[in-house]
Amino acid sequence: MRSSGFTGFLGSGVLAGVVWGWIAMALNSLTGAFPYEASLASNLAGFSFAGAVFGVMASCFLFVFGRFMPFKGVLPKAVITSGGLWFFLWGFSMILAFLDSGRYHFAASQAMQGLALSLLMGAILSMVVRKGCDAQ
Amino acid sequence: MERVFTQREFLVNTVLPAVVLVATAFAVVAIFYGTDSILRGAHDAFHDFRHAIGMPCH
Repeated sequence: MRSSGFTGFLGSGVLAGVVWGWIAMALNSLTGAFPYEASLASNLAGFSFAGAVFGVMASCFLFVFGRFMPFKGVLPKAVITSGGLWFFLWGFSMILAFLDSGRYHFAASQAMQGLALSLLMGAILSMVVRKGCDAQ
Repeated sequence: MERVFTQREFLVNTVLPAVVLVATAFAVVAIFYGTDSILRGAHDAFHDFRHAIGMPCH
């Protein structure tokens, strides 16, 4: 994995994150877990940017910690990395919900959707990283 | 076979990941928790995204 270089991972993270953001937007529209409040254009920009940021973070963690994981393929490493990141962030948000229940409210359907999406992010990221490695 | 790391390789593969990780960590916290104190307007800009990925919000 290291041979593809960090900049390659960054590019993969941005690409996977933007695609993932669009998929997240479409999936939420299908499931109806949260009815959108903002316009389509605003959400398209927001989901793309936020997805790219999450993708970059996941790819960074994959680049730094992937070599220490006891798996051979990129797919399990990427899925565990993105799923673990989401779970860590969600767990911390649950602490916030406990401390400030007036500000943060837990919704089980949205949390399940978020977990599934984070695992999907790992799958997309692994595909993009593998494509990047094959291209070199 | 001996491999000599150039200064550029060291920067790209060691320093850059650390810098990007810290920067994205701040961005992720601002986006995922909607903390306006870190990034003004983050709460409203990413409100629907936050709900779609299951982060608790109001």
